[in-house]
Amino acid sequence: MKTVMQKQTGPTSRLWSCIGVLLILAGWQIAAMYLGPMLMASPLDTFKNLVPMLTSTHFLDNASVSLWRIGVGVGCGCLIGFILGVLAGHNACLRGLLEPLRWVLMAMPPVVVVMLSMLWFGLGSPMVIFMTVLMMAPGMYVNTVKGMLQVDRNLVEMTHVYRFGRWRKLLHLYLPALTAPLTAALLIAACGGVRMVVMAEVLGAESGVGYALANAQSVFDNTEIFTWIILVLLLVAVIEFVLLQPLQRRMRQWQENDHV
Amino acid sequence: MFELDNVSVRFGCKTVLDNLSFSLASGEQVGLLGVSGAGKSTLLRLAAGLLQPDSGRLSNTFLNPILVFQEPRLLPWRPVIENICIPLRAKGMAKNQARECAGYWLEKVGLRDAAGQWPGQLSGGMAQRVALARAFAMEPDLLLLDEPFSALDPGLRASLGQLCSEYLEQNRVAMLCISHNPHELVEITDRCVLVEQGRLRPFEPDHLQDDEARKKMADLLYQTLLG
Repeated sequence: MKTVMQKQTGPTSRLWSCIGVLLILAGWQIAAMYLGPMLMASPLDTFKNLVPMLTSTHFLDNASVSLWRIGVGVGCGCLIGFILGVLAGHNACLRGLLEPLRWVLMAMPPVVVVMLSMLWFGLGSPMVIFMTVLMMAPGMYVNTVKGMLQVDRNLVEMTHVYRFGRWRKLLHLYLPALTAPLTAALLIAACGGVRMVVMAEVLGAESGVGYALANAQSVFDNTEIFTWIILVLLLVAVIEFVLLQPLQRRMRQWQENDHV
Repeated sequence: MFELDNVSVRFGCKTVLDNLSFSLASGEQVGLLGVSGAGKSTLLRLAAGLLQPDSGRLSNTFLNPILVFQEPRLLPWRPVIENICIPLRAKGMAKNQARECAGYWLEKVGLRDAAGQWPGQLSGGMAQRVALARAFAMEPDLLLLDEPFSALDPGLRASLGQLCSEYLEQNRVAMLCISHNPHELVEITDRCVLVEQGRLRPFEPDHLQDDEARKKMADLLYQTLLG
């Protein structure tokens, strides 16, 4: 018997997603025809440019720098957010103490953070990584704290009775219980992190995808701009569909079995 | 030995246990009876170390008290066998030995075939049997039972009660057991205590010497409970 969740992600839903992709491509083609090649590259020109771009050193150099920044920035941001979230979930005083900082970071426009980071770190990787960490950590923190406060108190009591140590509690109680908020936060952080890194690179870096995009824009090379956009979208798709969604499915395997 | 000396526990302005004194010796098996909200579970939680008294003295020399809750409280994201292995590993048992021990106790409760299943796939009775297996596998020196069979059907209650009796007979561990059924309780305990509005009313152990006395005792307790 299929569950409701399985039905929602079944072949029908995938078919509609494919139709959605085709509609976006059609809309893009119509817009490109209407605006002309100076303002918007067509899907065909963009995809034709993909293969030569992928094999060029220009792509490899910039993409590898950006990937490194995304990995370090998102990784550190999520780790810091998670650790602080777990601690704050246990301690109301720490939660209160961190609340103003959380609010400031979440309310501050990313461009302001980029400007301040450039002022403090100059151009380059430290600035990009710093601002990515600063922007990614609060989201992970909020989701972790919320998840921690919703962990079943009965199970917490049970782990106390059976004298689980801190590590066992984290591994067997908190991490599995936090699967839903954590994977959602990871997804938002990873996809948001890509956007944040590219934006920071556009504004103040000497290498990376954002830097290449800024260069292409300065010489009005629309095809290159759209090719980079497609590559960034592909990267986000790989993070979401190849890494995070299978991880999410694996961690929620126990929910897929119906009660007898 | 578990001992309470003039212990009081309050939740907000409500006094749940009021200057209560109680002791449980090693190997002694005591039944707790009382209406809902009388403070029975609070007493058990004190013994399990889940609560500290607001006043009075508590001393507990039992090294391994284990509380079996009304509901199974299994980790839903870990297979059945892991639910038994993880506490054993926390106790310091080697991985292979823990699996072997978990398998043995699953066999004892008739759930060897369910070892790889998720707790969500089990019925209520099966899950409670796993919870009992987990408790027995820990080799407690104090077993605390908080109406563990109350949500089960009579057949299952009887079979799990039998399993419990056998375990207690073979391993003379101390036990505190809550039940609303005096007839069930007098069968497996040395003495019974009635909890009334945070205070205790003991029933003499001499009354539980033979079957007829046990039945009379259970009837008396039942009548007292009805008020």
